[in-house]
Amino acid sequence: MFPNLRRDVIFPVCGSVILFVLFVGVGLAYQSQFSGAAERLVTFALIDAILVLGIQIYVGNTGILSFGHIGFGAIAGYAFALFAITPAEKLKRIPDAPFGLLDVNVSPWLAVVVAVAVTLVVAFVVGIGLARSGAESGAVSATVITLALLFVTHELARNWPDLTGGDRAGLSFRIGGTLDSRVPVYLALLVSIVLARLYAQSRGGRVAVAAREDDLAARAMGVNPLIQQMVALLISVVVVSVGASLRVYENGSILPRDMFFNLTLVTLVMLIVGGRRSVTGALVGVAVITTGRELARRLGQDGFEVFGIGLDGAPLDWIFRENLKSVFMGVSMLGFMIWRPSGLLDDWELDKWLHSRFGRRSEVPPESLPVIEPDDSSVLVAEGVDVAFGGFQALDDVGIRASRNEVVGVIGPNGAGKTTLLNVITGLVESSSGSVALGGVDLSSAQSFRIARSGLVRTFQNLRLFAALTVRENVEVSALVAASLRRHRPPPDVDGLIAAAGLWEHRDRRARELDYGTSRRLELARAAATAPAFLLLDEPTSGMSDSESLLMVEQVRQMAGLVGAGVVVIDHDLNFIIGICDRIYCLDCGQVIAEGTPEEIQVDPVVQAAYIGSAAGD
Amino acid sequence: MTELLQNLIDGLGRGSIYALLALGVAVIFGVMHLLNFAHGELITVSGYASFWALGAGWSWYLTVPLIVAVSVLTSLIIERVAFSRVRGADDFTLLLTSFGVHFVVSAIFLLYVSASVKTYPRPAWVTNTFAVDSLRIEVFDTVVIVVTIATLVATTLLLQRTTFGLSLRAAAADFDTARLMGVRSNSVIRGAFALSGALAGIASVFWLMRSGSTSPTAGIDPMLKGVLAALIGGLGSLRGAVLGGFTLGLAEVILRSRLPDSVASLTEGVVFLLIALLFIFRPQGLISVPHAERV
Amino acid sequence: MLEVSGLTTKYGEISALREASLHVGAGEVVGLIGPNGAGKTTLLNTIAGLLAPSAGGVVFDGDDITGHSPEGLLRSGLALVPEHRRIFVNLTVEENLRIGGVTVPPSDRPGLLDEMGERFPILRDKWTTSAGYLSGGEAQQLAIARALMSRPRLLMMDEPSLGLAPLLVDVVFELIDTLRSQGRTLLVVEQNATKMLDLADRAYVLRSGEVVAEGTGAELRDNRDLFDTFVGN
Repeated sequence: MFPNLRRDVIFPVCGSVILFVLFVGVGLAYQSQFSGAAERLVTFALIDAILVLGIQIYVGNTGILSFGHIGFGAIAGYAFALFAITPAEKLKRIPDAPFGLLDVNVSPWLAVVVAVAVTLVVAFVVGIGLARSGAESGAVSATVITLALLFVTHELARNWPDLTGGDRAGLSFRIGGTLDSRVPVYLALLVSIVLARLYAQSRGGRVAVAAREDDLAARAMGVNPLIQQMVALLISVVVVSVGASLRVYENGSILPRDMFFNLTLVTLVMLIVGGRRSVTGALVGVAVITTGRELARRLGQDGFEVFGIGLDGAPLDWIFRENLKSVFMGVSMLGFMIWRPSGLLDDWELDKWLHSRFGRRSEVPPESLPVIEPDDSSVLVAEGVDVAFGGFQALDDVGIRASRNEVVGVIGPNGAGKTTLLNVITGLVESSSGSVALGGVDLSSAQSFRIARSGLVRTFQNLRLFAALTVRENVEVSALVAASLRRHRPPPDVDGLIAAAGLWEHRDRRARELDYGTSRRLELARAAATAPAFLLLDEPTSGMSDSESLLMVEQVRQMAGLVGAGVVVIDHDLNFIIGICDRIYCLDCGQVIAEGTPEEIQVDPVVQAAYIGSAAGD
Repeated sequence: MTELLQNLIDGLGRGSIYALLALGVAVIFGVMHLLNFAHGELITVSGYASFWALGAGWSWYLTVPLIVAVSVLTSLIIERVAFSRVRGADDFTLLLTSFGVHFVVSAIFLLYVSASVKTYPRPAWVTNTFAVDSLRIEVFDTVVIVVTIATLVATTLLLQRTTFGLSLRAAAADFDTARLMGVRSNSVIRGAFALSGALAGIASVFWLMRSGSTSPTAGIDPMLKGVLAALIGGLGSLRGAVLGGFTLGLAEVILRSRLPDSVASLTEGVVFLLIALLFIFRPQGLISVPHAERV
Repeated sequence: MLEVSGLTTKYGEISALREASLHVGAGEVVGLIGPNGAGKTTLLNTIAGLLAPSAGGVVFDGDDITGHSPEGLLRSGLALVPEHRRIFVNLTVEENLRIGGVTVPPSDRPGLLDEMGERFPILRDKWTTSAGYLSGGEAQQLAIARALMSRPRLLMMDEPSLGLAPLLVDVVFELIDTLRSQGRTLLVVEQNATKMLDLADRAYVLRSGEVVAEGTGAELRDNRDLFDTFVGN
């Protein structure tokens, strides 16, 4: 669950407490400076922070833009109100309340629990819908579904007066109207921060982030992103529900427009200004936007007098009007999207920084690991594979065979079908006939993540690293997935693999900052970290110079040897292939035209003709 | 039977406006891969322009071209100020940028005019009806349908017969290769926004005529309808957008007539629910445009 | 006519092209051969303005065109038939050709269209067919015709025989031969090295982003070690 106790539990919890103290401290300082409405402002800021944290848990970790979380908030808010308001009050507002809700009366604490439970049920259903629609980072369909949720809850709230008090009257409380003490808010905020950080550092959170960075690559490692996206959704909804209930309680009432577009805008702006990928960022965003809004509001009311300067008719006076804060919000959102889409903090976290400065025992790269012999002799067999794209026969009765202790190469000119073959083996493309089996187990129609879990892990022609994650995090998430999926085999030592791949000095650098050769080595190490039965490499030397390709030969042998994996490699660089392979298949026009050892293949005239072409009449 | 026909005509009348809005959304999506949530602001701005013009004594004959002109101009300004700076960005950024534009524009009106709804006189014939057999047909619906058909025909001619239309269709299919052919990216994108603005302008005319009012948030509803209709039809297909618009219009009218009275006011909510279900079961919309990813 | 010197192009950190230099004289047919991943497409795309080089320059008829946009280059007379053809599948054959001619004065376009119809009778038969329904060979002809519509002074082609059946490969090479006999200047990237060398006046061999050999078509064709050059032994 948590790969490293110090880094993933202790520091995040301590960091969360510090953040909590800082955040509340700033709020209290503000409160003492400006009396009057300041206290309420700060309370609402604290509650907004809870809402934003809830949204961050989902949007930040999955990369899916949700407009619907305030819709969940609406459900929670109304559920809370319906359960917490006294029957006498309910009689005044909603005398015809259905489901016997008129007589229900529970303590606010229990009402929150009910609100969370009800909203979770709805969230689960919505989550299934999102999964079915293929929600993925940046997908439009997910955004639309969540937007629809927002509108559906709004319409329901407006047009079901028997339940909700409708558009004009809404529901209101007489439980003090405002919170008697802020303790519940403090408690909820602290727990939310801790929860958000722990989730992000947990195995589940890391897997979600990997899928966010590159869905295809995550699946190729054995991850099923849909599961983690559901988990993230449910956790985020719990936090949002609590925040919404608190908001309703503090407000003393709830109306449909309270939980609709405006609050959605406010919370989203707070999230993106701070940095949607960071919990610290979420809090910073809340602070910045709350301050900005308040400043804008005052400027709008009093003009420059806010600063103690009395300037009437001053040049900028025309900006200072009522509702200036709305402009502020819109401009903030627009401005950040244009100039700094990743927010102020990007994905920086206080506890991660503290850990890197103070928490790390001096790290020594481990000694080289012993070479592991493959523990079983499962053979990879593809037979009679046919693939047609439209009228074009991409593969025609193709078969290859590889065992765990060899390196098998697949070569051929462009368009010969090599990558298609790899796609068939790893489940990205369906074959119309033929079969693929590993150790006798048929994998022909399995989904890509299942095939990866069976032990066939691949790399991609176009580099697919988890760009925002560090080198270590890239390899770690891979090992985490393997560890949980195939418990009978001990996973390889992450640090050992990183060192063996020559990546030790880069271990804390983000994947996107690496140069090309290093990136390719990382991709290899990450694939090896799943301890697969076979490593399937798609053009690992593409873009490399001759000398770099030669280095790659050693790299591949070493990685494969460390984890006891067999290798099937596609490449155009014949030097590389001849240097590394035990056996080679040559494809052309979708068919296997030659098979043999490197020596045989090199001098095979059929292979030569395929590469340099045959002249007319040959 | 008459009820069905009645619904059909009502539905087509509504659907026409949605189709025009959806087409405007789809045109921009085609070239920029951007879902324009700010599309409704064109109606808001046109609404204020109408309010001003009609208040100053202009007749509707003059106001109509004003509305279209304002819509085109606003569309181009928004492209220049906001969208030109995020070309090629990821979907997340593009979506939020268009939302940002939506909020800035409505906030500006909130700030400088007022939050309250402004009304203006509607043309006299808007509420007229005429009878055919037992059907009661609104003059308005007829005009809307006729004008929409004419607009769609004109747009089709623009797209199919002119060089600009050709460039637009090529750019929507393959932007880079279109540039290889000499199509200038700026021209195509600005042209798309201008076309989108013109379509929104025509839709605005009827929307505003029917509502007789405007406010800073007047743009949300038409924007939503336009975006949803384009999505129903399948993003990337212009034909789909038009189909989506008519489908949405018909669905609204039929639902309203079929739902029991007690929940009739929930029509909107039900429509959204159905749309959400559509996306769960058929995320690519009614007409899917193939979209391959290179591995 | 075309002078490329020390061109280096990177994809992020990848050096897909390392200080490549070549030249094409007016009326010449120059071939660019080499194994896959060698950088041939990158080279053409850089010349055509789709990619920005990190070093080096391109001079076309005395003008420095390094980093110019593709739209601008077409107007200067440099056209590219891209890899995989990239015809517009949502447009008809005629419309594809018309798009190829947007940079030509409107009055000249009908004449050009007729000319293409005559030169490519197969396309004439499918004038109003949607380009998505064309076979590979027909699509290749369309892509070439489309590029010719802009009346280019230098025509670049990226792997025109890619993915075509052997019979159609012959047709494509005949087409290239015809263009050659019309005095056109061509720069052709080809996987089918021997066929290309039969046709070309001169050729360059690219491997791992570098030019590793050059010579006349005949010289390289008769070189016994061509395969080894490809492999890098």
